[in-house]
Amino acid sequence: MPETLSFFQKFFFSFLLTILLSGCGETTEKTLSDSAQKVEANKITVTDDLGRKLEIPAQPKRVMALSAAMTEMLFAVVPDSLIVARTQVCNFPEAALKKPVVNSYPLDLEGLLVLKPEIIFTEDGITSMETAAKIEQLGIPVYFQKYEKVTDIFRGLNDIGKIMRRETEAQKLTDSLQTELNAIENEVKTQELKRALVVINTDPIYVYGRNTLMTDKLEKAGGQNALQENFPQQSPQLTREYVLQLNPGFIFGISQVQNEAFFRLYPELKKVDAYKNKRIFNLNDDLAARPSPRVVESVREIRNYLQK
Amino acid sequence: MLLLTFGVTIAGLKLGSFDTDFPTVWNALFNHNAEDPAHFAVLHLRLPRLLLAICVGASLAFCGYLMQAMVNNALADPYILGTASGASFGASFCFFAFTNLTVFGIYLPPFAALLGSFVVTIVVVALGTRSGQLIPSQMLLAGIALTSLIGALTSLITFLSSSEGKLKSVIFWAMGGFEKASWESLPYPATALMLALLVFMFMEKRLNVLLLGPDRAKMLGVNVAQTRWIILITVSVVTGFAVALSGPVGFVGLIIPHVTRGLLGITGKLNLIFCALTGGLFMLICDLLSRIVFPPAGLPVGVVTSLFGVPFFVYLLLKKNYKFN
Repeated sequence: MPETLSFFQKFFFSFLLTILLSGCGETTEKTLSDSAQKVEANKITVTDDLGRKLEIPAQPKRVMALSAAMTEMLFAVVPDSLIVARTQVCNFPEAALKKPVVNSYPLDLEGLLVLKPEIIFTEDGITSMETAAKIEQLGIPVYFQKYEKVTDIFRGLNDIGKIMRRETEAQKLTDSLQTELNAIENEVKTQELKRALVVINTDPIYVYGRNTLMTDKLEKAGGQNALQENFPQQSPQLTREYVLQLNPGFIFGISQVQNEAFFRLYPELKKVDAYKNKRIFNLNDDLAARPSPRVVESVREIRNYLQK
Repeated sequence: MLLLTFGVTIAGLKLGSFDTDFPTVWNALFNHNAEDPAHFAVLHLRLPRLLLAICVGASLAFCGYLMQAMVNNALADPYILGTASGASFGASFCFFAFTNLTVFGIYLPPFAALLGSFVVTIVVVALGTRSGQLIPSQMLLAGIALTSLIGALTSLITFLSSSEGKLKSVIFWAMGGFEKASWESLPYPATALMLALLVFMFMEKRLNVLLLGPDRAKMLGVNVAQTRWIILITVSVVTGFAVALSGPVGFVGLIIPHVTRGLLGITGKLNLIFCALTGGLFMLICDLLSRIVFPPAGLPVGVVTSLFGVPFFVYLLLKKNYKFN
């Protein structure tokens, strides 16, 4: 075998290589919900919910999420084998607990480098733009989703399905969730609206504001957010006097909110109808706070309390 | 000053989530109907809040005045004894260590804050004492060092927390506020302040002489060591109660004593009372402003005290050619 290639051989291989490379540059068009995307070689360009354009693998094989809700969404749509890690706060489904942990706060960049996900999913408000930029410097695209309504979660699931080439599975799941949701809505639509306040934090008092997923869940469960005023923040801080003036018929607590402790801390609030009528309940933390595929379960839980 | 404070308090009683006019405020105070939620809000939520703001502002300004006289330093404030950092540590520890923050009907964080402030103050005083004698410069340094150490420990327990809610509680507590004011808690800081004012009304001359420096004060017959100990105990107790209920509101204890001296002179006869009243009025206005600007909960009052107070303080320093002693 000759040790060096002849001029003719070099020319032939160069020509062949040029042909092959130019073939890889051809593009095809795909649609991903409302976002435009292009397929370029084995990469596609997608637009996430924040309007950021990202170049991602056409068929990602290694993915993870930086929020507990999005980990639940991935496990609902994507085969477990493609999910490479979870964060320290991801505790559902059980299969997630078997995955290695990458700390999301403070972010474990080295952990990401070791596990090399090809795309990371996260939620608006959970991961900062600064953190996303750091991750993207490692060559890992960060796909943000944003949810203000229950239907945004279904759209999010379908988007994950399209990105991961699991459209059919995602569509089946969202269809079934939508059917369940419709059944709950039909059941409560003739009932009187019940005014509820959902307390996120007790000291100081923070509640879910009007333009939040929780408001949509309350409405679908036959209730209404007692807080109808618009505030600049999604979850505004309230005073005792404001809560007294709202006089909610129901008070739901999530996270570390403990009903008895709440009223021991603010005995003045025992004057509200919710306390007088013993309509104060703790919602399941994870169901209430996470925009996950378990959203219908969350609506059902709220519906059950509102009927008490 | 008293009339102005009274006027602002009455105006403050109108401000809140319920629409209340002056007749409603009057009726809430003098023809109280316990079933009327607006009456309840005026008497049980707004009035204690306004009174606590006055009390805390007066306490911090008064203690700042005492500390500046004691260490003869224009930069001294009530927090140089580590009171604020100790209180913050106590409250933070309580927020993170206990799931149930109310035991036997008592809300624990103010008690933990009070305990933290006393413990740290005692350590600072012990470090600033040699052979039973207080050495102000040594105490200042001990205060600064311990404040840093306690601050680091507070940051550590905050960092180790996994609960966003608890983080919020600690951060908001550290920025100060009067939302949890109640008739039950108000007597503690109010009594401490009244007693302290009474004691120091009879000691005002001693304070003025202290500003001349310890040696000259001794020559003029002042028992410097005894006066310093009285100041120290007073400041610890009064600041401790104030900070425990409101959180460590910054700047009032530093600027109001200077404002007082700038307006009434360095050794004015009514300096202490005026300083306390000005501190109370200033805090009251800051609390009202915070709620007007950012309803309903208001900005953290510590933010407003700095934003509102510092420009006036700088103006005073430049315009009046003010000197500390």
